[in-house]
Order: sequence, then C-alpha cells, then structure tokens
Amino acid sequence: MKGLRFLLSRAIQGLIVMFGVSLLVFFALFLTGDPAILMMAPDSTAAEIAAFREAMGFNDPIIVQYGRFLVEALQGDLGTSLRYSRPAMDLLADRLGATALLALSALLWSSLLGFLLGAVAAVRKNSPIDFAIRVISLLGQAVPVFWLALMLIILFSLNLRWLPSSGYGSFEQLIMPSLALGAYYLSAITRLVRSSLIETLGENYVRTARAKGLTEWRIVVRHALRNAMIPVVTLQGMYLASLMGGALVTEIIFAWPGIGRLAVEAIQNRDFPVVQAVVLFAALVFVVANFLVDVAYTWLNPRIRL
Amino acid sequence: MTGSLHIKGNEDAALAIFLLVAAVAFCILVPVAWPLDPLRGDISATFKPPMSVVGDTLHPLGTDQLGRDLLARLGLGTLVSFGIVLLAALISVVLGTALGMIAGYYGGWVDALIMRLVDIQLAVPFILLILLLVSVLGPSMTNLVIVLGLTGWAIFARVARGRTLEVRELEYIDASRAMGLSDTTIIFRHVLPNIIGPQTVLLTLDLPRLIILEASVGFLGLGVQPPMPTLGNLIGEGRSVILIANWLVLYPGLMIGALVIGCNLLGDWLVRRAESKVS
Repeated sequence: MKGLRFLLSRAIQGLIVMFGVSLLVFFALFLTGDPAILMMAPDSTAAEIAAFREAMGFNDPIIVQYGRFLVEALQGDLGTSLRYSRPAMDLLADRLGATALLALSALLWSSLLGFLLGAVAAVRKNSPIDFAIRVISLLGQAVPVFWLALMLIILFSLNLRWLPSSGYGSFEQLIMPSLALGAYYLSAITRLVRSSLIETLGENYVRTARAKGLTEWRIVVRHALRNAMIPVVTLQGMYLASLMGGALVTEIIFAWPGIGRLAVEAIQNRDFPVVQAVVLFAALVFVVANFLVDVAYTWLNPRIRL
Repeated sequence: MTGSLHIKGNEDAALAIFLLVAAVAFCILVPVAWPLDPLRGDISATFKPPMSVVGDTLHPLGTDQLGRDLLARLGLGTLVSFGIVLLAALISVVLGTALGMIAGYYGGWVDALIMRLVDIQLAVPFILLILLLVSVLGPSMTNLVIVLGLTGWAIFARVARGRTLEVRELEYIDASRAMGLSDTTIIFRHVLPNIIGPQTVLLTLDLPRLIILEASVGFLGLGVQPPMPTLGNLIGEGRSVILIANWLVLYPGLMIGALVIGCNLLGDWLVRRAESKVS
C-alpha cells in the first residue's frame, strides 16, 4: 500500500510538471512581446504580419490563447508547422523512430559495458585495472559529444575509411552516432556502479556470503548487484534529459533524421510550433521515464514494495 | 562522486589545479601578449598546419580558412567561453541558493511551490530550453549569460534546501528566533554560512555541464556570433573544413577537455575531503 501511494503521488507530481512545462513553452513566445513578428520573415510587410496575427489568433486575450493551446495539446494537436504546413505532431511521429533507435542503442551498449567495467573496478578496487577504468570514465565525461563525434569521423571515416560519416538506414551508419552518444553515459554508469557496489560489498549479508565460501564473482552477481542497482536506476532518469540533449547534437553531425535535428532546423527556421512540440514531447518522455524509474525503484527496494 | 579512489586524492587535486591554472593563464596571457589578431587574418596564409611559418610569422597551432591564427583565436575563445560560463554560474548559484534557503526555511506551500519549479526546470533538456529562449530573444553574449544562468538554478536550490532543513533544526537557530532576530537576518547570518561550502563544491561539479552546454550552443551557431571566437564556435566553424584542417577542431576540443577534467577532479576531491572531515 505504501508503494502504491508513493507511485500515485509521483504520478500527480508528473502531471504538475507537465502543466508547468506547457506554461513555460507557451509563454516563451511572448517574451519579446509579439509572437507574430517573431515567427514571420524579417522582410514581411505590416499588413502580412497583421493578417498572420489574426489567423493565428494572437489578437485574443492571452489566457484564451493559452486555454486553446492546452486543450488542443491534450487532444494531441500541437499546432501546425509554419514551414511544412503539416501538424507538428506528424513531423514528430515521422522522426521518432530514428531518435529512439539512436538513444536506445547508445543506452544499451553503454549500460552493459558500464555495469561490466563498474563491477570489475569495484571487485579489483585500487588495482591498476581500476585505475585504467577510472581514467577511461574521466575522459568519457570530459569532452562534448559533438567533438568526440568529429574525432570519430576523422578516424573511422577519413583515415581508416571503415565507416560512413553520416546517413541513416544501415547498421554501419548507426555505429558512430551510437558510440559518440553513449560515451558520456558509459562514464556515468561505470562510476555509479563502482561506488555503489563498493558500498554494498561492505554490508553484513555480503560478509555472510563470503563466510559461506562463495567466490567473489558469485557474490557480486547473485547478491550485491541487485542492491547496488538501486542508486543506478534512480539516477538513470536524471541522465535521460542529458541523453536527449546529446542526441540533438549527435543527430546534427551525422545527418541523422531524428527529433533533435527537427528541433534545431525548426529553431533556425523560426518554426516555433514545431519547437514547442519538441520541448513538450521531450518533457513528457522525461516525466514518463522518471515515473517508470519510480516503479522500478519500488520493485527493487523491498522496504517500500507494494 | 562518493567512494572514489584511495589515498591518491592529493595527486588528483594537484593535477586539477595544474590544468585549471594552465587554462586560465592561457586565456589571459594569449589575448594580452600574443601579437597576432584573432579576428583578422592573412588571406595568403589560409589552412596552414600547426607550427607553420609564413614570412617571419610562426603559427604554433596553424591557421583557419581566413588565415587567422588559431592560437590567438583559441586564447580569446577560451576567455569568452569561460567568462560566459562563470557569469552564468554566478547567476545560477545566487538564484538557486536564495530560493533553496527560502524553501527550506519557510517550508509549507512556499517549499512545495519552489520544489515543483525545480522539477519543471529539470524535466526540460537544458539545451532545448536554451535554444528555444535564445532563438526567441536573439543570440548575443548577454542573452546567453542570462539564459544559461536562469536555467541552471534548480540543482543549487535542491541542495540548498536540503542543507537548510538540517540547519533549521539546530539549537542556535531556535535561540536566534527567541532573541527576536528577523527571518532575513537568520537566513543571511546563520543559515547562509552553513551552505556556502557545499554550494561551492556543487558549483565546481556543475561547471563542466555549463562549459559543455555553452560549447554546444556555440557549435550549433546560436551562441555568440562570429567573428568572435568561443570554444563551441571554433569547433562549429572547423567542422565544415575537417577534411583539410582537422587541427581547427582538435585543439578547441582538447581545451574543453582540460577545463572539464580540471573541474571534475577538483570537485571530486572537495567532496572526498568534506566526507572525510565528517567521518
């Protein structure tokens, strides 16, 4: 029951967050006063701007406009792209698959390798291999994803000619974007698993297991890893926002037809309905993912189990 | 973060301080002392690789597509980027600490409101929010500082609140209240001094995020506008000529790496030191 109430309160918090993000996204366009001037080409005439303002409903009271925005958004209508004259939602849906593929593949390899490296470093604490793993994770967090991506292109596309430098559709084209995006994440997971596992390995039940004569690796896999996972899972949700931010730059570099590239192009073209749609969508993903993290946390942590 | 390496802590701190001092010295000394103009180039000396000598001018890091000296541009670019990041960080720390202390000290609905604002802030990927705001307000150095500063407060507020909740229960706060001191005086005189330490550590650990964020915005062409160099601008401009002049991308990235590693090592070391003091 305790767990259920916890999850319910988290769900309500998520709704409040989404409401706040909708306010933020809506009112951002009014920061300079007139969204019509903001959206129109700089060389538009006053009459064109006035007509556009009327067509977009910018003459209505602002609270009416926000109400309309909110009601339509709840029905899945996030406005129409000024550039493509298509619903922003459709554009988003077209690009969703590519971004999901990139983000999930990066998440998958970096989590698996991060758990492995973190566990090795924890078990062989203070050994040369621990030091080497630490250096790797320090370097992985040190450089921006776009710089790493460019270095990968120089090495694998220009010098070695092993991989295509951009594009979407084949496995070869997925490798470099996924590597570049996952590197930061790999560092983060490795560090978290290491410190969390070292803490768990000092607990009483692990000493008991050791006293029973189990091998160190068996203890890690069978006993410690599950508990060490709690902080790792909790922080996964927090890292998701930075993962989405990283995906945005990665997509630009590798000409990856995902949501990040859609967002940057929309910003460059002053296509604000699409920008609003992307920000709302990203926040929704973040909120849902964090709720799932709470569910996983409740399940992993017996003290608040349902 | 926690539980990081053994006794080698002090070597970490030494390396961190070396990297940071070197980077700061570089970005102050180069614009002051290096004779070549970072904004104007020599059209007869485009795309010269590092250590090239043109006439009697040495280009230690090479030149770009307009024949501008990369060392001069990297020096100025580092100064501009680091300046933006430090000013933005200052805004974040002051705003976040103030709101966090208010939330923790007063509790109740004020606390709930501020903490929901924190959740909302953290739910939107920083880069998206910053791009949205910069595209509405227009790209300029001032706007970038303000936007980076205003979007970074949440984590400082969360930590300041937690610490204030602890401090609030201490006896001398009760005593101050009994003496009739105003809330503002108590917050500034008695709560704030307890919070400055942890907030400084957090700031050190948050700087890498800001450095990379500022560079990303510059890389996408939405930050400080050319011809002014920043670390992100340099990489963004170098990207289109990466086939013929990879040094234009290489060195700015190494500078970012040095700054980030320096801050991370220093921050980790400060955390460990604080923890060992407690235990």
